[in-house]
Amino acid sequence: MRLPTKEEGLSLVPLIIVLLLWEIIAGYVIRDPLIVPRFSAVIFSIYTLRELLIIDILTSLLHFGIGMTLAFSAALPLAIAMGWFRNVFRAVDPIIEIIRPIPPLAWIPLAIVWIGLNHYAAGFIIFIGAFFPILIDSYTGFRDVPKVLVETGNVLGCIGNIKLIRYVALPYALPSIATGTRVGMGVGWMCVVAAEMFGVGNSGLGYRLFQKFYFLHQMDYVVAYMLILGLLALCLDRLFRHFVEDKLFRWKKGIVK
Amino acid sequence: MNHKLKLHNVTKEFQSEEVEIKALEDINLEVKPNEFLCIIGPSGCGKTTLLRMIAGLDYPSSGEIILDGDRVSGPSPDRGMVFQEFSLFPWRTVLKNIEFGLQIRGMKDKERREIAEKYLEFVGLQGFGNSYPYELSGGMKQRVAIARALATDPAILLMDEPFGSVDAQTRNVLQEELLEIWKRTKKTILFVTHSVDEAVYLADRVVVMSARPGRIIACRDIGIPRPRKRTSMEANEIREQLLMLLGSKHQK
Repeated sequence: MRLPTKEEGLSLVPLIIVLLLWEIIAGYVIRDPLIVPRFSAVIFSIYTLRELLIIDILTSLLHFGIGMTLAFSAALPLAIAMGWFRNVFRAVDPIIEIIRPIPPLAWIPLAIVWIGLNHYAAGFIIFIGAFFPILIDSYTGFRDVPKVLVETGNVLGCIGNIKLIRYVALPYALPSIATGTRVGMGVGWMCVVAAEMFGVGNSGLGYRLFQKFYFLHQMDYVVAYMLILGLLALCLDRLFRHFVEDKLFRWKKGIVK
Repeated sequence: MNHKLKLHNVTKEFQSEEVEIKALEDINLEVKPNEFLCIIGPSGCGKTTLLRMIAGLDYPSSGEIILDGDRVSGPSPDRGMVFQEFSLFPWRTVLKNIEFGLQIRGMKDKERREIAEKYLEFVGLQGFGNSYPYELSGGMKQRVAIARALATDPAILLMDEPFGSVDAQTRNVLQEELLEIWKRTKKTILFVTHSVDEAVYLADRVVVMSARPGRIIACRDIGIPRPRKRTSMEANEIREQLLMLLGSKHQK
């Protein structure tokens, strides 16, 4: 799976060019750090902010963790019910389809009224963002279990919904659940900044970026936090892929690759 | 009791766009213990439906199916089934596929692993126990499916065109292996196929069905001693008769 070094080097070239262009344009063309801070200034900011940064990352991960845990534990049981029982799907799907298009940020007022200004309110916004992708991919997995596998289970004594879900449908749907979770993590992460903007605490990447750095016009700090937000999401995604998809779904190789 | 399985006046109707379609009409059949019975017929004659009803995956509209004196009323591991399409659980290794029925029954890990290994050897796949289905060829997959169906020690083995999607050479090999397994396990086998050649090579007795409504139009003992030669005169003669039976019904 390892790319040859030469190709790896090749894919680094455009990245370096972009960074160089950034530095040159910011430093010699625009020359206004309020509009575009220089790349070197941003890197230096990350170094200056390192202590704050750790606290903010931990706070954001806490919000993210609350949201993802809620989303996963609510979406999975509902996905099983919707994917496995046709009538549940018929009954619940219209409700889901009405709520789903509402942007997570529109839930902020309700989050404040219902939960208050605390970590759980931020978690709630992330929950709204992550819930639907997990739900939809997961119930699709349960709905698509091939009939022949269910019947094979039947003739081998695996009879009744509980056994069939446990031994046939759940293992079959696991890759879809993982995909949904991965997409959900992505959407959930996008909600982190907004979820911290409305004053649920006094730390967090989104809080710092918007409430502190932006109001003080410290654009190099803002961009530094943007980069951190991106890199962190990339790391989370890679970790998930490494520990869940590559380890758990060796059996899928023949199908997807 | 001189029969293992008995079908008594079995009829199956399907409702389709306000028309009632008779898929099977008045099927009466007795299968002896240890018998290797093949069912042949044109597509749409309901042979698969018949097998599915014996497995308990479908229900007759009227009539009854009796196995070892008990009326069949749903699926159960005492009727092993091998499907035409590949039916291995892709997330389970070969051994874990074979263990499935035993695991559901609640058997201990070590015990069921031993049994699974025995049946793995039965179908000649030692060394593939830890492979996943995607790593196997079509023929190997069906071998595993056979081992899995046998592992729960069913009273009867139902096979629905199990070799329909493998190439001709593999098919011949699998047929020989199946006869070997049949000799060793002394199972009663019901084997559905649309291949007259396959039926004549494998069966003690061949049941010929007609299409719409599905009826049994003939039962023919093969009577050629085993090992059989696929190209022998006797085999050719029986093949010809069976083909005629099928053909005459086709041209109507």
